Amino acid sequence: MADDDAISGSVLAEQPEALMGFLRLYGTLWSHGRLPQSIKEVARLRNARVTDCAYCRSVRFEGAVEDGLTEDRVARINDDYASADELTEREKVAIRFTDRFLRDPGALTEEDRAELLEHFDAGELVELAAGVALFMGFSKIAVALGPPPEMPTTVVPTPDWPPA
Amino acid sequence: MGTWLPEQAEGLGPDATGFDRVFGLRPDLSAPFREFYAVFWRDRLVDPVVLELCRLRVAQLLGCASEMEVRYEGALRGGMTEEMVAELAQWPTSEHFIDAQRAALAFAEQFVIDPRGIKGAVRDALREHFTLPEVVAITEALALFDGFMRFRLMLGVEGPTEPAEAAEAAARIVVDPSSVDTPLP
Repeated sequence: MADDDAISGSVLAEQPEALMGFLRLYGTLWSHGRLPQSIKEVARLRNARVTDCAYCRSVRFEGAVEDGLTEDRVARINDDYASADELTEREKVAIRFTDRFLRDPGALTEEDRAELLEHFDAGELVELAAGVALFMGFSKIAVALGPPPEMPTTVVPTPDWPPA
Repeated sequence: MGTWLPEQAEGLGPDATGFDRVFGLRPDLSAPFREFYAVFWRDRLVDPVVLELCRLRVAQLLGCASEMEVRYEGALRGGMTEEMVAELAQWPTSEHFIDAQRAALAFAEQFVIDPRGIKGAVRDALREHFTLPEVVAITEALALFDGFMRFRLMLGVEGPTEPAEAAEAAARIVVDPSSVDTPLP
């Protein structure tokens, strides 16, 4: 969803043990995972757009920006992403994965699976699925308990555990 | 058939579920996931019957059969019955549910289908029956149910029916959850 500070300062602080559990998992996924941060960020921003979380849409994680995810490239995570030269093939596959996850997770075809395995190994797909599960779940929380605040595009530190 | 991933974690023992073998490919992530997931039951952040009804309703909406097979011991001890499960899809008119459970189920359905619809009467009913910390716990648990049932469906994870005893153990043990046959989503 967003940076540690925004989450820690949110209503989630009403349940400190659960918050700690989330931050540990989320920070590990972002800063100690195997997938490049730019791939996860593309998936996170795709979810933010589909789930319609204004806050999640406006945040950028520092590590992904350093990884080369410029605003020109972020702007292409839209309906026409498939024809965007600015996005890599792997990023496009991550977007398709995210769309499936959000719309009909039980309906992958043989072709979908083959395409995923062409671009990611099994452990990476577990990381991507766990990531999108959290991106979706926590942006839905922001919408459900919100409304999430509108704000300008803001680069924030990448979640880490233990906190940097 | 099980997962379509070309490999699964090995050496997890005879009690490992399909979920354990898939998520176990990434123990660096599955371990903190288990700790996070267990806290809602271990610390009893919300009535386990409410939590269980929400979990099962999300499973119905997503068509997640392996989650429907599991029952958590704490919820059964708290009074959840199979009659309630049988009528779960008719909760608005069934006599088996009390108002607090109905408020949580309306919230759960809207969370899965479109959280932008959580306002007005849905929100008011929830706040009438639950404290703010309980609302936060229900919402976070829903995020995990919704998210990790989709994880199961995406990766083709099948879980055998996990014994209720293991569910109870999982609710207590969080120091080393990877050693437990946790009834994970």
